[in-house]
Amino acid sequence: MSPSRIFSSSGLIIIAFLIQESLVTRINFPIAGFSFYIAVLMGLISFEDRSGAVVIGFIGGIILDLSPTIDAPFGQWAFVMTLIGFLFATNRESIGNFSSRPMALIALVAGGAMLSMVFFLMISALLGENDGAFSQIVIKVLGNGFWTIIFAPLIIPFLSLFHNASLTSRERR
Amino acid sequence: MAQGGNNRSRLLLVILLVTSLFLITLDLRGISLTSTSRSATQSFLAPVQRSVSNFFSPVNNFFSDIKNFGKTKAQLKDAQAANAKLKAQVIVSQDIQGQLMQLRDVLDLAGRGHLSVVSGRVIGRGSTSTFSQTITIDVGSRSGVSKDMSVIANGGLVGAVKSVTSNSAIVLLMSDPTFRVGVRLAKTQSAGVLLGQGDSSYILQLLDPSGTIKVGQVLVTLGSDNNRPFVPGIPVGRVIAVDKSTASLTQQATVVGLTNLNNVGVVSVITKAAVQNPKDSLIPTPKPTVTVFVTAPPAISPSAGPTPGQSPNPSPSPSASRPVQ
Repeated sequence: MSPSRIFSSSGLIIIAFLIQESLVTRINFPIAGFSFYIAVLMGLISFEDRSGAVVIGFIGGIILDLSPTIDAPFGQWAFVMTLIGFLFATNRESIGNFSSRPMALIALVAGGAMLSMVFFLMISALLGENDGAFSQIVIKVLGNGFWTIIFAPLIIPFLSLFHNASLTSRERR
Repeated sequence: MAQGGNNRSRLLLVILLVTSLFLITLDLRGISLTSTSRSATQSFLAPVQRSVSNFFSPVNNFFSDIKNFGKTKAQLKDAQAANAKLKAQVIVSQDIQGQLMQLRDVLDLAGRGHLSVVSGRVIGRGSTSTFSQTITIDVGSRSGVSKDMSVIANGGLVGAVKSVTSNSAIVLLMSDPTFRVGVRLAKTQSAGVLLGQGDSSYILQLLDPSGTIKVGQVLVTLGSDNNRPFVPGIPVGRVIAVDKSTASLTQQATVVGLTNLNNVGVVSVITKAAVQNPKDSLIPTPKPTVTVFVTAPPAISPSAGPTPGQSPNPSPSPSASRPVQ
């Protein structure tokens, strides 16, 4: 993964973070809520190889850790997203690209978004944090998965264009 | 070659995981670097959130508007054809009117309790990925807001200030699972602890095992040392169900909050509590129904004029009175 793509992807992640924190959080979603940020991050990871996915996951996690409303230790999301990035990239290789199997990729992005939240909660539990009642957590995780499935088809094509534009000539070959 | 790529990605994975664990350890050990970075992010985010809030304030109810769209489709078509521009203005003014009504109610509550408050608009909410229930408001230390101050809305308590920057503050909502507040059952001295559950209901644990809880009773804050984070006497919620099981040592009840935290748009931060404890004076009371009696004038025949000493307007007779509400 080239340094220029790391910078451009980081820029896109920061924009997604700003949209999430200032706009998406203001919408009262009927079922739980939607994390636009995690959906974008998973979408970006889905176009990367293993090394790229790990780096993007770590950067995305660090930015999410910077969220002022978060009540978890700094670095917890970075840990989760790095791990998810690796697992995601490993499993994504068997799915193929977006144009050949779009539904499978969308399902994987939604699954990755839900799994990242579950991993986060598991680490929170290990660290002795209270994240709420079990039923509320289940609704939140499933709700986020549902909204990711709904919105991912709108987000992923844009991310695909962005990824293709950010490839260096060597990476294109 | 592929083996080399795999090894490299695994090495990268291990390095980044260790870095993450290092950051978590630093945070758990109380290194201030992490809190500083979050404060810096908040300072950066607040102006963005404020700008977006100004442009997209009607977007809050996007989904409920869609849900009701079918019912009023015909009416909307007529209205849009007639005055699309006016309709947009009405939406904006309704939003402002709603905020003004909330502001009026919260200032009324603060005035009754002789509380010094700083009011602010809600410009952001805790996102799904944070798992904490917070709101961001557009007043900060520059307006006199500091950490651990009580935050109220039109119905009563909303939460407590969690962190502050110069121009914004994050409020931990009382619905957050980590939220705890000492409360008192109104009109009694029974004290307890109210626990957030992550939704609109709360659990009340009474400290006194012999105390009784009744459905409908209102809870007010017990107050904290130096009024931080909670000033006494702020209405919190209403008991809707009492747990009658004998398994627990203390009595428990389910409580519903007096403030709808999903629709809160304007809040007030209590910067200075009243000198005297307001006790139960801030509990919302049902508004009395005003009954006005209108008396129908008696039919006056043209021949029968008023006799000397008799008023032209006869006194109201009970039989001719009808109540008008």
